[in-house]
Amino acid sequence: MAVVSEQGAAPAAGGTPGPGTKGPRARWATHLVRPAIVVVALVVLYLYVSSRQLDSIERRSLNAAYILSRTWQHVQLTAIVSVIILLVAVPLGVLLTRDGVSRFSGPVLTLANISQAIPSIGLIVLFAVAFLSLPVYAIAVLAFVIHGVLPIVRNTIAGIGQVDRSVIEAARGMGMTKLGVLVSVELPLAVPVILAGVRTTLTITTGTVALATFIGAGGLGDIISNGLASNRNIVLVTGSVLVAALALLIDWLAAIAEDNLAPRGV
Amino acid sequence: MSFWEYLASNYLEVIGYTFEHAVLVLQGLALAVLVGVPLAVLTYRTGLGRAAAVNSASLIMTIPSYALFGLLIPLLGLGTAPAIVALTLYGLLPVVRNAIVGLREVDPAVTESARGVGMDRRRLLLSIELPLAWPVVLAGVRVSAQLLLGIAAISAAVNGPGLGNLILSGLSSAGTPFAVYLALEGILGIIVLAVVFDAAIALLTRLTTTRGARA
Repeated sequence: MAVVSEQGAAPAAGGTPGPGTKGPRARWATHLVRPAIVVVALVVLYLYVSSRQLDSIERRSLNAAYILSRTWQHVQLTAIVSVIILLVAVPLGVLLTRDGVSRFSGPVLTLANISQAIPSIGLIVLFAVAFLSLPVYAIAVLAFVIHGVLPIVRNTIAGIGQVDRSVIEAARGMGMTKLGVLVSVELPLAVPVILAGVRTTLTITTGTVALATFIGAGGLGDIISNGLASNRNIVLVTGSVLVAALALLIDWLAAIAEDNLAPRGV
Repeated sequence: MSFWEYLASNYLEVIGYTFEHAVLVLQGLALAVLVGVPLAVLTYRTGLGRAAAVNSASLIMTIPSYALFGLLIPLLGLGTAPAIVALTLYGLLPVVRNAIVGLREVDPAVTESARGVGMDRRRLLLSIELPLAWPVVLAGVRVSAQLLLGIAAISAAVNGPGLGNLILSGLSSAGTPFAVYLALEGILGIIVLAVVFDAAIALLTRLTTTRGARA
């Protein structure tokens, strides 16, 4: 849901048949589907792998220590990249909606739309070959942050833009300062849209971090690459299922946060 | 050697990969429409059907592309086949969602009148509902196109076609002066395709929108 919700919504605003239009019970049912799929997939994978006699190449990737270290790297890198993206993008988005600065929001939105076509694998490779002296982790963080910032800027601008003008006028009329209106009216009303952006960031970043393996920056993508390089489908499938499971879990947690953190009244 | 000089030396290769990339994405888009629109037609009438269609498509979207390629290889082998299937799957969500929205936005008064003049269910769908929903479907295709152009770059990692091959040859020649140029050629090729696809779909929308539905 998260990935294109704000991009695809253009003609669909209001009528989108998404989970948000359903009652709380249906939403909880939706929330239970993803972890159930993940658990079933992981159990089947575990049973399959442990029923097989692994050769030495397969054992090099398919052991608990290796898998745990790659998972931990993946989670760390995802967390660092996501936090930096949000720290940069949300304030930037807020800034671009302020009087005097808002005329720059048009060009930024255009740039955001164009940059969407830039593949993350292209960006990480470009940075890796252009800045050979930088450590690979720095390159991975830089490339993924640059890749992820603009969609969230756009999301924040959209979130604040959809706040009803009359509500802002009313708050101003009550004697609130511009900063007061931003902090206690505009931002709280924009929280649902910003949270949707947070979820998008986390999900997309989990996926792009799987590409860190191409420049040797680790993560679960290593297991997929090992499987491809050694032509071992069992390794390839294990890596793929683990990456997919992690992305689904993170998306699931973010979806629950999205439902429960929005201020009441919105 | 500057970037432009380098491009002048291997532009034929770049054009070849750009063409492959465009064909790959076109195949994915066409299949996404061929699967997505019927799926929307079958499900848009009931809340449960809509939720099932949109939630499954968004579940696929959550799976990272490198992992989806990895899952398809044991089934389809390396190369073009897993790339086309993966792109089709990723292209589904915007198409299905917009097709459902488009079909639901058709004014009930219009469908009532069509019923009133004696159209059966099939005629109603083919000559009223789908033509009216078509611009919204194409808006979804436009979103899908931008998404797929980027994802298609990964297919090179599984021996597939397209501009990802330039990016990966840039990576494997890291340290040489041409590494950056190769990666740039791949990225710029994709950006050019993104602009071309966007304009082409906008034009297609104008040409194929039924006259009554034009704004």
